[in-house]
Amino acid sequence: MEATVKTDFIGKEEHPTADKRTWIFTRPTAKTGIVSWLTTVDHKRIGMLYGISALFFFLVGGFEALLIRIQLAVPNNTFLSAQLYNEMFTMHATTMIFLAVMPLSAAFFNYMMPLQIGARDVAFPRLNGFAFWVFLAGAIILNVGWFVKSGAPDIGWFGYAPLTSTAYSNQFAGDMSTDLWIIGLQILGVSSIVGSLNFIVTIINMRAPGMTMMRLPVFTWMTLFTAFLIILSFPAITIALVELMMDRNFSTNFFEVSGGGLPVLWQHLFWVFGHPEVYILILPAMGIISEILPTFSRKPLFGYPIVVFSGATIGFLGFGVWSHHMFTTGMGTIATAAFALATMAIAVPTGVKIFNWIGTLWGGHLMMRTPMLFALGFVWMFMFGGFSGIMHAAAPADAQQQDSYFVVAHFHYVLIGGSIFALLAGIHYWFPLIFGRKVSEFWGKLSFWVIFVGFNVTFFPMHFLGLNGMPRRTFTYDGNMGWNSANMVATVGALVLGVGMFIYFAVMVYTYFRGEKSGRDPWDGRTLEWSIPHPPPEHNFDVTPNVHARDAFWYEKHHQAEIAREKAEQAKQDEAHGGIHMPSQSWFPIITAAGMLTGALFFTNHIMIGAIAGLAIVFVSAWLWSLEGPGGYHLHPGQDHPDDHSKSGAKH
Amino acid sequence: MSHSDRPFTKIHRIAATLLAAILVPLLGGWTQGPQSTFDTKGPVALSQLNLFYVTLWVTGIIFVLVAGVLTYATLKFKARTSADEHAEPPAQSHGNPLIELSLIAASVLALVVIAIPTLKAIWYTHDIPEDQQHLAYEVTATGYQWWFKFDYPAEQIDGVGTLSTANELVIPAGRPVRVNLRTVDVIHSFWVPKLAGKVDMIPNRGNFLWLQADEPGYFWGQCAEFCGESHAVMRFRVIALGEEDFANWVAAQKAAARTVDAPPPGTPIGTQLVSYEPMRPNAPGWTPEFDADPLASWTQLQEPADNEDAALIARGRQHFQEKACITCHTVRGHEGVGITGPELTHFGSRSTLAAGLLENTPRNLHRWLTAPNEVKPGNLMWFGRAMPGYMVRNAETGEWEQNFTVNDEEGHALVAYLNSLK
Repeated sequence: MEATVKTDFIGKEEHPTADKRTWIFTRPTAKTGIVSWLTTVDHKRIGMLYGISALFFFLVGGFEALLIRIQLAVPNNTFLSAQLYNEMFTMHATTMIFLAVMPLSAAFFNYMMPLQIGARDVAFPRLNGFAFWVFLAGAIILNVGWFVKSGAPDIGWFGYAPLTSTAYSNQFAGDMSTDLWIIGLQILGVSSIVGSLNFIVTIINMRAPGMTMMRLPVFTWMTLFTAFLIILSFPAITIALVELMMDRNFSTNFFEVSGGGLPVLWQHLFWVFGHPEVYILILPAMGIISEILPTFSRKPLFGYPIVVFSGATIGFLGFGVWSHHMFTTGMGTIATAAFALATMAIAVPTGVKIFNWIGTLWGGHLMMRTPMLFALGFVWMFMFGGFSGIMHAAAPADAQQQDSYFVVAHFHYVLIGGSIFALLAGIHYWFPLIFGRKVSEFWGKLSFWVIFVGFNVTFFPMHFLGLNGMPRRTFTYDGNMGWNSANMVATVGALVLGVGMFIYFAVMVYTYFRGEKSGRDPWDGRTLEWSIPHPPPEHNFDVTPNVHARDAFWYEKHHQAEIAREKAEQAKQDEAHGGIHMPSQSWFPIITAAGMLTGALFFTNHIMIGAIAGLAIVFVSAWLWSLEGPGGYHLHPGQDHPDDHSKSGAKH
Repeated sequence: MSHSDRPFTKIHRIAATLLAAILVPLLGGWTQGPQSTFDTKGPVALSQLNLFYVTLWVTGIIFVLVAGVLTYATLKFKARTSADEHAEPPAQSHGNPLIELSLIAASVLALVVIAIPTLKAIWYTHDIPEDQQHLAYEVTATGYQWWFKFDYPAEQIDGVGTLSTANELVIPAGRPVRVNLRTVDVIHSFWVPKLAGKVDMIPNRGNFLWLQADEPGYFWGQCAEFCGESHAVMRFRVIALGEEDFANWVAAQKAAARTVDAPPPGTPIGTQLVSYEPMRPNAPGWTPEFDADPLASWTQLQEPADNEDAALIARGRQHFQEKACITCHTVRGHEGVGITGPELTHFGSRSTLAAGLLENTPRNLHRWLTAPNEVKPGNLMWFGRAMPGYMVRNAETGEWEQNFTVNDEEGHALVAYLNSLK
């Protein structure tokens, strides 16, 4: 260890330098340009990569949703064929869940969590890059189907066996759409698990001095819970997907009915993953809301310990309610009763959060900025989604609601009114920090109201459609069912929602190039990410912060003399250790991920030699990665260095 | 409180919006339709609806309380002026354990109010109550991609076996009916919203449900689990009949197919064949005339039409053999012996075709027979997978090739034949 430390870390040059090693182990040092992005290990850049990809797929998924709504605008419509419609709703759900909401949450985890705990990066920077590139590989594989003859996956995002069996696959061509879905989801699972382990290690180990667990910002807490949910729930779907892959490619009989397989087993495995997945989508949103409401109320979160523990309770109970997705599978009275009661129980910690958010508003000075509007919109819409959720928990009532548009209304209230509203709030909230520019309040508020109205006009009627007997996942319906006007209203709402989203993102793009400069700490923030320059320097903190309280930055702002003394002290100590240690960039994360992409594409085409070649790339580059060494270089923000980022040397 | 008047106008506006959100759907007929779960016609659906109302009331009351406090807090504590915004920060309070714990306790209590009727209804809706078991009538529903088969184990036909029909389940009214749920391929789900919530048909799993129609009636049902390409048009009907009518129906169904005596060879077809226009996009599958009184319309179909053309029917019966129909369909007493497609022995007495998709009119049937792929995407009569259909798959290339077609004239003959099967 001693030797490594001496040669690679302490006392070496301050700038990224190429070691005298064979070319294959030469670390890239580009700080700008395409190579700097492909080899980046900076959590902020990786966060942005996640964010941009997620927003791209959010637009793709939204486009698919609009096509679905156009098809359903009038009865017996022929805008989309049945086959294309089935592909559309399968990919809409898969895209929104795995390629939009999860990576958008991951973008915030990556960007904000290290800043909130006063860290300079995540625990494993290269692994972090790897998680992103693997995500991108999985996203490409899922969407490749649109461009090949057999089409995109058409089995629903839940892929119920035995519809996924080769016997029922797309009858027009040698089917690969289901294989793309199976492999794509497995690869996304690798990305999620790798990323989550990284976040857990980071939160446990890399908190700044004084940042005890009960001082963590709530968003960081929710990152931690979400990461645990991911590493505990993804194995279940991975097992199911591997079994299905075996059934399809190697004639095993896990779900094959003719061989005595049990299709209902798939449902259990899927929902053991699928229900925690719901909380994977909503807990980060709750974290964001728990940051925004205190900031714009100018007072601390009401009942912080209860909010944190209710998050943990939701995560824990979330593993015990999966069969409420299966109330109509004939589980019998006892199992149905048990899962109904467990599902009602989970409403308690969820309700508690709403009470605490209202408590946070109480007695505050509410600053009605755009992020606050989205956050309040979240509380309202999430309440609706929560109430219809309780209705589903009453299993016999759910026998009418299951697989009807009532369920579609319910989970869109939770996932758009909940997750998406919170993520849009988060983008607005942190935009000045990330880009140093502030979105116009007028256009921000306008986009909020258009989105809010469009969303409700789209999804509120669906409650009635469902209770009026309209099943979901149907490409058409007849005109005599009493569903015509509600469907037309929903389609009009969807178009309004689309306009709202367009305004939202158009304003973001404009602001990125031309927006008003925000200056430091524009919202009077409470957490550490607001204590650094906007945009943040590569090394985040010139001086490792000392944390004295929850809402650490609020405390700093109100104890400036004490903090200044401490910072000077800490700066000296940091310099004595040889300056700020930064991780080196690396090519291997992206090469390893590219191997996965290659192997997977060949495998889904049943070209096994190519699949093996892809696997070989994965193993060889992972091996070389391990030989590459940790790398690293030092920065000295206190001193003037011509090569330093000008921003990183800035004093404040 | 210089702003005291403003919150009230806002509250009024919010209340008006909420009222509109409730009234528009109600007045707009969003709770009425053939598959409405509000308009129940039997005890199982009623029990489920009553439970829904319990959840609606409890969550509604909680909503009014929470939303009221949230609205009040938002309006009361909103910073209205620049001076408000730059005022000293409010007290940095961290919470109030007493309030938090009492709210948790209140939530638990509210959930208990829902939980008790939920448990009761779980047991009630699961199976027919003990004291009514002796009244129960049993049928077996089997899901196929994309239609339903209905078997009547209580009705045995000498030398044939169990009475079997398709896509229209006729049951006795006023008696509990136990429906065994089976499938031959993928997962389907049996749902007749006015009679009972759904239960899935899952391979290798012996599910069942019970339902009861209190009065005679004609009920719409639909597959509720995504089952592949034509899931949306996998529909069916339940027809409940009074005791006597039901007995008559069973007797008629047990009989072999009705045969219209063939005319002497060489008799010309007397009917003037109309040329049907192609269907327009977005055309409804249903006529308002039928909907006006569906049960009466259905009853009318049980009797033979009076303008039958024996020569045309005979020609249709011949096509039925030549066009490979007989390999998948049964016409008991005639040539058809297949079992992979719907049973057609009494097809003419059914009100629907293509699994509840279209009303059984000559025009619709003609279209279904001449261009099945345009009516119901991916259907296995067109894409013959288990048995040869209109298309067959070339074993070598894997491509689909035309096996046979049904032209306009052949279509008319087949329509006449099938509709003669009362």
